[in-house]
Order: sequence, then structure tokens, then C-alpha cells
Amino acid sequence: MSTPTGQQAVIITSGLTKRYGRIDALTALDLAVPNGVIYGFLGPNGAGKTTAIRLLMGFIRPSAGRAAIFGHDTWRDGVAARRELGFLVNAESLYPDLSGRDQLDYAASISGRPPVLRRRLLDALELSDDALGRRLGSYSKGMRQKLALTAALQHDPALLILDEPTDGLDPLIQHAFEEILRERRDAGRTVFMSSHDLAEVERICERVAVARGGRLILEAAITDLTRRHRRTAEVRFAGPVPASLAEQPRVTLVRQEGSHATLAVDGDVTPLVRYLAGTDMTDLLLPPPRLEDIFLELYDTHGVNGATAEAAGTAISTRRRP
Amino acid sequence: MTLVRMTSRLLGRGVAGLAALLVGVALFESLQAPVVESFGGARGISTLIESLPPAFQALARAQPGFSTFSGLAGSLSAGFTHPLYLVLTLAAVVGFAARSLAGEMERGTILLSLARPVSRPAAYAARVAGVVLTGILLSLAGAAGLVGGLLVARPEGEFEYRNLVPLAVSTWLVFWAVGGLALAASAAASTSGRVVGWAIGFVVISYFVDYFAAVWTLLRPFEFLSIFAYYDPARALTTGDVPVASLLVLGLVGLAGVMTGLVVFDRRDLPT
Repeated sequence: MSTPTGQQAVIITSGLTKRYGRIDALTALDLAVPNGVIYGFLGPNGAGKTTAIRLLMGFIRPSAGRAAIFGHDTWRDGVAARRELGFLVNAESLYPDLSGRDQLDYAASISGRPPVLRRRLLDALELSDDALGRRLGSYSKGMRQKLALTAALQHDPALLILDEPTDGLDPLIQHAFEEILRERRDAGRTVFMSSHDLAEVERICERVAVARGGRLILEAAITDLTRRHRRTAEVRFAGPVPASLAEQPRVTLVRQEGSHATLAVDGDVTPLVRYLAGTDMTDLLLPPPRLEDIFLELYDTHGVNGATAEAAGTAISTRRRP
Repeated sequence: MTLVRMTSRLLGRGVAGLAALLVGVALFESLQAPVVESFGGARGISTLIESLPPAFQALARAQPGFSTFSGLAGSLSAGFTHPLYLVLTLAAVVGFAARSLAGEMERGTILLSLARPVSRPAAYAARVAGVVLTGILLSLAGAAGLVGGLLVARPEGEFEYRNLVPLAVSTWLVFWAVGGLALAASAAASTSGRVVGWAIGFVVISYFVDYFAAVWTLLRPFEFLSIFAYYDPARALTTGDVPVASLLVLGLVGLAGVMTGLVVFDRRDLPT
């Protein structure tokens, strides 16, 4: 199956639902994650991110719908679905009685694939041989996270599923890890990750899905999101603000003080820039849109189903089930 | 190969505790021969048992005259029905079943296997193999301890060493039955503490049903409900004979527990 952009899909969910009694943890999730991308799955606590990941891993059984990885149903045919997969386990779930090296050896032995990336990962994540020889009981939280990441990636899986991968890592190691993910992406691997760090998602992800209350509310490419998001522009003119400024399409004059104007611009800014080039503009401040702003706007209590989402320039997911 | 690695990992986690238990069981059984000798052999034990009230005789799981009749082997068999022996051995089996499945779900360590191309039945089979191996080691440790004590103390009386085989089979089947039920509980529970609680409850009730059936005729019709009704080390050690029906019951109880656990574990949601 292909994604809406025509790429081959690695992960496909259709109507994926998980209920715990009367609680709907995840409702009718429809996703198609294309091959060879870094895909972010975002949402606040309780959005259903972890439930979705656990369903993808076959740890829990869907109440309705299905999930497939490389075409294999994750519940009925889990072994085949996980054959080309790397999953980041919670760093607290590693065996405390094993040394770091034994932990990695054990993970590799039951993966059935050689740990071809181990050295590269250990060097990038600065996990020394000395540390690997020690038992996990002496590890800090960050070291455990590095070890869990190495265990997930060392066999160079075609698909990586990562839940909060950089939790506990310092900024330098975080950037080194992001570089590794880009490398894997460039090598044709796919990464599906959840994160609370929106700046990180914006830096490395090509596409994102946003969930809230167990439902998917948005799925888009990051570039589309930021391009179509409402932006604020500050413009200064040599003379008074031209009267025609407020008449420009998709431009709203928010405030005007003498020769200074504050504008809200929906979507593409190119027409505005062209218009301003023909005026006596002396200064233009047009900060790039941030994913965090889009995310917060989307999560505004009154905006999710209404004006704010439209202002974000994105459509709330109304994709039908196949 | 994956099965072997997973089983080794599971046994490896509690290897120090298991080793200590095996030594403890062997030491306990090695004391039986010197103890029998210190009471003046089987005849002395028989005199001692006859002097006890019936309730204490039931606790010793021996009838008056039994030791005289069964000789040294009958006296030594008391070491395999002693509450301390049962506590030590069954704690090891139940502990492994609880720790290796419910305990791993509780800690999340089971995901290290299940996030990889390992099926749930394969992961479960590693736990079953662990229970089987733990039971074998415990049975051998008890038999080895008994032999060690006999060689050192050299008590009077005849003892057929070949009868150690039916004894070991009989004790292993009790471990298998309790281990199978503990695995079923472990597959259904999400904490190891709960499994240990359920299993201890079952063993204690089973023990007392068997005990009270021996001293209270009203309870005798219910004796068949206890797994200890199918466990007779005295008979195994004195005659080398273990009733096929007893072997079948213990074997099937264990198998039923293991199969129930497999079905439950294969279908359940793993805890967060």
C-alpha cells in the first residue's frame, strides 16, 4: 500500500482502536508512514501515542481495526512484522544484573541479525568500553538511555520505533543521535518516533501526526505545516503605512503605529513580499514559523475543531478508512 | 537457539539464589541419615513415632510401625515430606515461575524479547523449560544429598539406591504440577507478588487438606483434591514403585497449568 504522497508505506493502520473498558485510549487511527522518512508522532499526555506504539509492537491487542508493518499484521503475524524492526525499550526495563556489553549481546542474539552498527553508535553516543563492562546498576539515567538506543539500532533495522528517544540525553549527545537518525534515513531506513521535544521533531522529522484524546487530528509534512501556518510580520516604511497594505490577499493588519505595521499573514508570504518590494519599506521582520507555535495553536481548547486549526493552514484529519 | 538463550538468561538472573537453594536442599537431605542413626535406626524412629499423638504422626506423614516395616528407606523418606523441604523446593519453583513471567511483565524486561522477532509461545516455552530444569535440579539435589548423608553416616539397614530414580521422578512431578499452576497464574497476573501469593495459598491449602484428611475422617473424601495425595516418597523409596495413576494426575495437572498459561499469555495485553 502507498501513502497519499505515492510512497511505499512501511506502517499502515486502519481504524486502529483500543478501548480499556469504557475508556477509549485510541480511536480509529488511520496512518500510512512512508518508507525512508523520519516521522514524528506528537500529542500531549493521554493523546494515545504510547497506546499506538504498543499496538504497532503487538504488545496489546486492538479492540478494532488493524495495524501492519511491512504488510504483516502486528497482532496476528507479529514475528514477521518485527523481523526488520528496532524498538527502543524503556531504559528502566533493561536487565539490571547484566553488564552493558552482555545486554547488547543478548539483544543481538535474539534479533537474529549481527550488530553491525554497534561500534558507530557507541562512539557517537560516547559510551565507553569501560562503561560497557559494568553492570547496569551503576549506570546513570542517561547512560541507560544510550544503551537502550544502541540495543535498538545496533542491528541496523529497516524500521525504528522510538518512544521519547532523547529523554535523559544531554544536548550534545542529543544532536549526535539526531545525526545518526538522519544517516539511517539517508540509508533508506524509516524512523517512527514520539517526542515531547517539538524543537527536536522540527529539526529531524519530515512528517508528523498529531493526536489528541486518542484521535488523530492532524497529519502533514512539516514543510507544509510551517509554510501554511499564520505568521506575524513587522514592517517599517520610510513614510506612512500604505493604505493598500490591508487590502493584500491573506494579509490582516493587526496594528498600525505611524510608519510601523504588524501584520498576520496566512500561508504563502511570497505575494506580500512582492507587494512590499514595490513600496518604500525600510525594514521587514518575518520570523520563521515554529512547530511549537503550530502545536500550541492546534491544542488551544477552542481551536482544535474550529478557527485555529484553519488558521494553522491545516486540515483536521478527515481521511476515510480504506 | 533463541529458546536456549532466553532460558539461560532467565535461569541466569536467579542463579545465585537457586544455587543456594540447591545446596540447602542437599544439606537438608544429607542430614536424614545421621538423624535416623542418632535415633537408633529405623526401629528407634518407629518407637518415637508411636509415642506421638495421631496428629503429630500425620504431620510426620507416618503411621505407627511404618518405619519398622519399611526399614531405613521408609525412615529416610520423611525428609521428602518434611514441611521445610517442601517450602525450600516449592519456593524455588514458584519463585522462578513468578519472576520469569509476571515479574518480567512487571519490570518491562520481557519487552527485550518480545520487541524482537520472538513469538509469545517461544518466550513462554523458555519459562516452561526453566520450570522443568529447576525441578530436575531440585530433585537431583535432594537425591544427591540423601546419598551423601548415607555414605557419611552409614546407618544400619538396607537401602536400594536404584529406588532413588522413582523418588526423583515422583518429586519432579510435584514440582511440575505446582510449577505448571504457578505459570498459569504468572501468565494471568501482572505482578510476581500476586503469583507467589496465589501459589502459596494453593500449596498450603493442598497440604492441609492432605494433613487433615489423615486425622479427620470427614475430610478423607476430599483428599483427592490435594496434590500431595499423589505424592508418596515413602513408597517410592521402599518399594521403588510409584502408582501410574499418581504420575498421570501430577503430570496432567502440570500440563493443564502450562497449557492454560500459554493460552492466557498468548492473548493478553502486556501491562504498561
